[in-house]
Amino acid sequence: MGIAERLWLVPLGFVFVWAQAAAGQVSLVDPKLPSYTPVQGVSGSLKSVGSDTMNNEMALWAEGFQRFYPNVKIEIEGKGSSTAPPALIAGTAQFGPMSRSMKQAERNAFERRFGYQPTALRTSIDMLAVYVHKDNPIRGLTLAQLDAIFSKTRKAGHPVDMRTWGQLELTGPWSGRPISLYGRNSASGTYGYFKEHVLLGGDYKDEVKEQPGSSAVVQACATDRFAIGYSGIGYKTADVRVVPLAVEEGEPFVEAVPENAYSGEYPLARFLYLNVNYKPGSSLDPLRREFIRYIFSRQGQRDVAKAGYYPVPAAIAREELRKVGIEPEF
Amino acid sequence: MTTPVLANRSDPTSSAPVGDSPPSPRSALRGTQSGASLMTRSESVVWLLGGALVICLAMIVGLLSLIVWQGLVTFWPRPVVLIRLADGQAVMGEVVREETAEARTETPPHDVQAQPARRLLLRVGNYELTQEHYRWVSDAQTDGQPAERPAWAVVFERMAWGRFYGFPKAFLIGDDTIAQTPAAVWAAFQKYHSQVRRQWRQRRRLEHDEAGEVNRLMEQARLRLKKFELEHGKDSPQWKAAHAEFETIQEALERRFARIRHDIETIDRWNSRYQLRVETADGRETTLLLKDIVRAYPANRLSWLDRWKIYGARWWEFVSAEPREANTEGGVFPAIWGTVVMTLLMTTAVVPFGVLAALYLREYAKPGLAVSAVRIAVNNLAGVPSIVFGVFGLGFFCYIIGASIDELLFAEKLPSPTFGTGGLLWASLTLALLTLPVVIVATEEALAAVPRSMREGSLGCGATQWQTIRRIVLPKAMPGILTGMILAMARGAGEVAPLMLVGAVKLAPELPVDRVFPYVHLQRSFMHLAFHIYDLGFQSPNSEAAKPMVFTTTLLLIAIIAALNLSAIAIRNRLQRKYEPGHF
Repeated sequence: MGIAERLWLVPLGFVFVWAQAAAGQVSLVDPKLPSYTPVQGVSGSLKSVGSDTMNNEMALWAEGFQRFYPNVKIEIEGKGSSTAPPALIAGTAQFGPMSRSMKQAERNAFERRFGYQPTALRTSIDMLAVYVHKDNPIRGLTLAQLDAIFSKTRKAGHPVDMRTWGQLELTGPWSGRPISLYGRNSASGTYGYFKEHVLLGGDYKDEVKEQPGSSAVVQACATDRFAIGYSGIGYKTADVRVVPLAVEEGEPFVEAVPENAYSGEYPLARFLYLNVNYKPGSSLDPLRREFIRYIFSRQGQRDVAKAGYYPVPAAIAREELRKVGIEPEF
Repeated sequence: MTTPVLANRSDPTSSAPVGDSPPSPRSALRGTQSGASLMTRSESVVWLLGGALVICLAMIVGLLSLIVWQGLVTFWPRPVVLIRLADGQAVMGEVVREETAEARTETPPHDVQAQPARRLLLRVGNYELTQEHYRWVSDAQTDGQPAERPAWAVVFERMAWGRFYGFPKAFLIGDDTIAQTPAAVWAAFQKYHSQVRRQWRQRRRLEHDEAGEVNRLMEQARLRLKKFELEHGKDSPQWKAAHAEFETIQEALERRFARIRHDIETIDRWNSRYQLRVETADGRETTLLLKDIVRAYPANRLSWLDRWKIYGARWWEFVSAEPREANTEGGVFPAIWGTVVMTLLMTTAVVPFGVLAALYLREYAKPGLAVSAVRIAVNNLAGVPSIVFGVFGLGFFCYIIGASIDELLFAEKLPSPTFGTGGLLWASLTLALLTLPVVIVATEEALAAVPRSMREGSLGCGATQWQTIRRIVLPKAMPGILTGMILAMARGAGEVAPLMLVGAVKLAPELPVDRVFPYVHLQRSFMHLAFHIYDLGFQSPNSEAAKPMVFTTTLLLIAIIAALNLSAIAIRNRLQRKYEPGHF
């Protein structure tokens, strides 16, 4: 996987995003996406178990969906991406939101049970952001430096272990201070994604303080002046700064802004997936079908923006709807 | 037979304050005061004990007052300030925090300037325009211009997107502009807002009750059909008959649903005509629909009475409304319900079992190795981490018992589980297990405190052992048993770790108790205040706005537990009075 998982969205005609951003409007939702139209006969209950990064996104979708179908019951549990596959396999959840793609072992377990692979829908785009305290003057980091900060194995090949802010050329009171590390717990998809894409499969240092939630990492960076941590972009607050990243030494630092996510320049942009149990060739039950249609409607993608993530363009929405046997009307 | 174990339990009322000194230790110590060393006079011990008490109390009072203060100020409406920056930007919002820090130039390399500067954290809102809820503004950015308090800065609390801070520009009904000065717009807003909100509530009632009813009947019909399919097989004559019936029902329901949708759309169209044009501090204009506004107030023109009204209205919304915007706004009503119902269910499950177990252990079981072993096991149970109970509850209740119930009774709903997943019942039972040791130990203590002479008297009069227990021992021990119940309730209501596994969820606006048969839905997942606190604190996207809500929710949880406990104490006192005359 690795590089192949990077976003290749360049050819998708994102000029309109730029144009709108320039005009002072920040709506990133593709105007080609249709407004959701409710249908009749949708009821029952839905349960989603999975990513904590997508917890709020799921809650917003659920709220929006219930505006159309008030008597649909939706329960949302978000304890980490790794909880999604077992719940899908056991049938305790209809949806498994995950902030990483499923591992081969998880896919196989699913296939053993049902005889086909789970379907992963790309619902939205997240940037995994590296946060520091708002007063931290650091200009940017390369991925190799980031690896040397967080990893004890340094697979990205940085020559020295990074332990103090002084090693990152910070001066004054910062120079002698040790870097205080914050990360997610191992059930989290963010933990897995960072490990795979920044640490290149290496091991985290033992000093990384594992936090129980995405927001907890940001709050830790807000209170600890010498902290660095990683979390989804949706959890950014005024008390932290997002560090621009560069893939290689000498390349310009890329800011974590939507344009860079869409253009694929930001190195840690990723899709957020919604996994469903869909038997290829069959048709989904009305409840799940309508929920998925809602996600890929204008309202659903506006909820994505509200949760702090970036909506997918209509072209992707079309592909994803086809994956579960829904013929898009746009 | 009363047991001799009674004797080796110390009677709580007569436990002596100082170790192994003879009968009246206190008077003996007083007697040795003159000329004795500090240690023997036990002055230092008294200081130690008193000091420990003071430290405990100070910590408790400190924690409580922090929660109460932070919880109470959250909803107070604060003034809105407008700050003009040197680069021409204008920032408007409520001041949340203030701090002094080294100032730095805005652009890299962020050189540190000589003078530290004051900076303010403003809640700026307008998220859909700026992509931020909060913003730091440093004195270094303002060139020393003082903050203004514009008279017509209005705070809008909205259904979605959080707050909006802006100046009212115009009030529109359809295409007609009916007001253009701030004062006139505000007057129009006040005139029409309650009307629009009434319509909006009507729409929600249509959605919730009527459309909900249709959906529920539809689901019922679908399940009935599924049942026929499971019993007789698809394409059997019975199934065909049921299918025909299903289709007529479906058609009728769809017609009814179409009518409701039509009504809703009519209300929506009517409501959407009422609009407000507003301008932000930096001159961008936007339109707000009146129906999306929960509450609005001109923050800098409020009298004290207005402030109190807003404060009260916000509290009322908090305790009575459903959560919005991924739980960061709105109320916590479902969580309050969930907490109370779960605690009561847990109590009804744990108290009978605990009391019966303790009765047997204390009154019937022959003391010996076995009883001691059981007692040690019960006491150890109290020391098992609560998450272990959660795992047990998930594995045993949900996956084994629940899944079996589903297969037997709810086969037509599978693969969606009914009881085979976390829910109110399983959460209550898990917590009942968790608090069982508290009840058993307290009951045993209470039974042990019943004087032996009373039992012997009763037995001597010819009563059987069960009669003695029922008429003499239990009434006397009742206050102590209820104390155990209160302790169990307090422990259970504040527990969150096991609940995360067996049924407490982030969002479940459907209450566990409602007007639909069978009224109490034990299989439903529920919201819980303690879990809500965890969720707000660690998982909220807008953590700055969620932080004060953490305190208010904590305050509410403490208040609810206190209320539950106080009512239990009131019951205990009544019982105590009731049995007092029987005391001899």
